[in-house]
This record gives sequence, structure tokens and C-alpha cells, in this order.
Amino acid sequence: MKRKALGRDAGLTVRMLITTGLLGLLYVVFAVVLFNVFNVGLAPMIVIVVAIALFQYYTSDKLALAAAGAKVVSPDEAPELHAMVERLCALAGLPKPKVAIMDTDVPNAFATGRSPKHAAVCVTTGIWRRLDAREMEGVLAHELSHIANRDVLIMTVASFFAMLAGLLTRFGLYAGMWGGGGFGGGSNRDNNNNQIPVWLIVLVVSIVVYAVSFVLIRTLSRYREYTADRGSALLTGAPEYLMSALQKISGEMARIPQRDLREVQSMSAFFIVPPSIKAATAELLMDHPPLEKRLAALAEIAREMGRPVGP
Amino acid sequence: MSTAAITLDVSCGLRFGGAGALVYKPVSAGEFSAVEEDVDGLLRAAAKESGSEVESKTDEFGYEWIVVRDKDLEDVVTSVHAAASELEARGFGGQLLAAVFRFEGKDADKPVYWVYGYKTGTFWPFVPAGKEQQRDNAEELELKAKLEHELPVEQDLTRWFGLFGAPI
Repeated sequence: MKRKALGRDAGLTVRMLITTGLLGLLYVVFAVVLFNVFNVGLAPMIVIVVAIALFQYYTSDKLALAAAGAKVVSPDEAPELHAMVERLCALAGLPKPKVAIMDTDVPNAFATGRSPKHAAVCVTTGIWRRLDAREMEGVLAHELSHIANRDVLIMTVASFFAMLAGLLTRFGLYAGMWGGGGFGGGSNRDNNNNQIPVWLIVLVVSIVVYAVSFVLIRTLSRYREYTADRGSALLTGAPEYLMSALQKISGEMARIPQRDLREVQSMSAFFIVPPSIKAATAELLMDHPPLEKRLAALAEIAREMGRPVGP
Repeated sequence: MSTAAITLDVSCGLRFGGAGALVYKPVSAGEFSAVEEDVDGLLRAAAKESGSEVESKTDEFGYEWIVVRDKDLEDVVTSVHAAASELEARGFGGQLLAAVFRFEGKDADKPVYWVYGYKTGTFWPFVPAGKEQQRDNAEELELKAKLEHELPVEQDLTRWFGLFGAPI
């Protein structure tokens, strides 16, 4: 039996499809505008971007590990970590990815690689030290869910046009600075009389596409995180450990105080302070959902799992 | 609390541990001593009827604990509530700190406390983890997830203060 993706959630899938759809629509509009405004010069640009994207895609595991300064470790060097990954992979029906360790106290973990066969999971020494075994398992299961769901592929494809737009913005700027002649082989001279310069249109469109796709990519990324959280909960069968791990990682475990109620009672004003109000706009730009929402979603899964399975 | 106790039993395997307490900060005023005596008298009268035990304790923080011991959660809740209402009615509601109820799983040495904060009007779980000032956050979060629908659980985790060394 092969599980293609861990933990399907209908609502989440729909929202993800809508976001992806909007991204696609945006890119189609972008492409149409590009083709109408000029017919030359586009091809080389796309070739460049495709090349970059392919390079990124095929080297994503090595590239990300190298960029992070992580070291791939053998089972002898980190037997516990390897055993944990092996166990989870067996459960999830995934091939075992490369296992890497990054020597930093910042508690973090990530997964990378274009496909389950070319994947790597990396944990920092900081997270390994802070979390206990079951919490670590929750985190690793989350990363393995990313691999199972091919999130690197999805995010690479999603970022592709944003990259293109980013590049065009830059090209547009240069073209503008050099007097509009340097763009697309300088073939748009007939458009230059009493019309808005082509480079300006490209520039504006690119900036808009870039901004909108940025927000959409972040939104998609947040949905991927929820899905991976869900995958982890189903894989380990114990969402509460991922919950406590998430709190520890985000430095939020400190939010559950170690202090005694009687010690702090004198600061009675403390209890009147309203919870901090977070702007909804900030959330739009984050690539991970806020901790509260992830915990709430996991709590919901915990409740679902607590219920007896129907007849 | 009673419906929550059923959920605790069914989904967490936790049963009422036979003890609850009201924690408050005494005031050094003659009037307050009189109120305390009245509350005490009230509780002992109620205890005689229900067959529960009542005792008073002072802890190292200078807080008074009115501890009610009874097998029946309902009786304990009623007593604690009566004591709190009396203090409130006599104008000392501001002195109330918390009500605490003890629950136990299979291992009676590892209690789970549900704390009701009078300042916030919410409940939160407190699971001491054996060692000094350590608590089992994973267990606490699980309890929160399971009980959220039955109890007004405190959503701001920074307010989940513990009551280490609770005499119940």
C-alpha cells in the first residue's frame, strides 16, 4: 500500500487549489501582457529563468544543505537520529532521505530535495538538544510530510514566475536607465513616439505580478505547513508532541510559565493587559502560519483522533 | 466542572483525586478574621452534611488554602464555591487567587491539577513533572485540546501559572 500524501484535509485542499489557481491565473495574465507588449526578447529571458529554475530544482537538496552549512551524517555519527528517521520512513512508506545536522543553537529543522528519492532532512544541534524524543519525532514527521507531499517541487514551480517577474523588473529598470534601447534587442522603436515607453509598462506589470505572487506564494506555503502538520499528527498518532515541540522551537514554550501563580500575583496589573493585537496583514506575508493557528489546527486533529472511529 | 470531569475520565483516563481547594491571600484586618471564621463555620457545617473533610493551611507564600476532601467532585466544587461566594459577598473577592482541583490517572503520584483563576475567570491545566518547578507541557496542551469545548480554558498560555507544592 502506498500513501501518496499524508493526511488529506478537504478544506485545506480546496483552499490550496484556489491559491494555486489564482497564481496560475496571474501568470497567464502576465504572460499575455508580455506577449502583447513585445514579441522579441521574451524567449531568451524564459530560457534563462527556466535554466535557473531547473538548476535550483535538480540541486535543491545539495544546494539547500550547502547554503545552510549542514553536514550529512552517517548512521554511525548520529545513530539515534538515523533510527528515528528510519522508523518514520517505514511508517510513511518513504525511502529514507539523507540525514544532515547543522551545528547551531537555533532550534530548527528543514527538508529539501526534488523528490522523495532525492531528499534530505536536516536538524540543528539546537533542536536536538531542546526536544525530547517524542517531540523530535513529531518534527521529523512534519519534515517527512513535506517530502511526501513534494513541497519543494510545488514551491519551485510556484516561485518560477515570481522569479521571472523579479528578473523582468530588474531588466526593465536597466532598460529604462539605458534609454529603453537595451531591451528586447531594441526593436520597439515604432512604439516610442507619443506612447508610454514599453519598459515602463513591463516594469509596472512585473512589479505588480511580483507583489501579488509573493503574497500568493506565502499563502500557499502556509497551507503546505498546515498539511505537513497534519501529516505529522497522523504519522506519529500523537499531535500533542508536535504541539509542544512547536512551542519550544518558536521560543513559545516559555509562554507556559515555569513560575508559580502565587509569586506573580502581586503584579496584579499583569492580568489586565490585553493579549497583543496582531495585524492580519502581517500574516499575509508570513510563509509559516502563526503558532496559535497551527496549535489550534493540531488541537482539532487531536480531538478528531480522540473520537472513536465510526462503524 | 462536572461535565468536564466526565470528558477527563473518558478521553484522558483521569479521575477526580478526592481533593479541591480555594486559595486566597489573607488580609491583616480584624474584619477579615471575622469573615474567615464565618467561612470556616459555613464549610464545617456543610462538610458534616456531605461527609467531607475540611482543613486550612498556610503556605510558604503566605496564602491560605481551604482544602476540601471528598470522593465526590460535586461536593468539593459546591464547598469551594460556597467559600468563594461568601468571601466575595463580604467584599473580599479581590483576595481570591484560585480554586484548584486534583485529578489522577493510573499513577496516583502524578496528579493533574485544573486551576481556576479568579482574576481571569478561566481554567488551565497544571501538571507538575516530578522535578522542582518542572511541568509536563505536552500533557497540559493535550488536556487543553480535549477540554476546550467544555471548560473556559485560558487561551493566553502566558497566564498558565503553576501552583507548585500544592497541599492537595
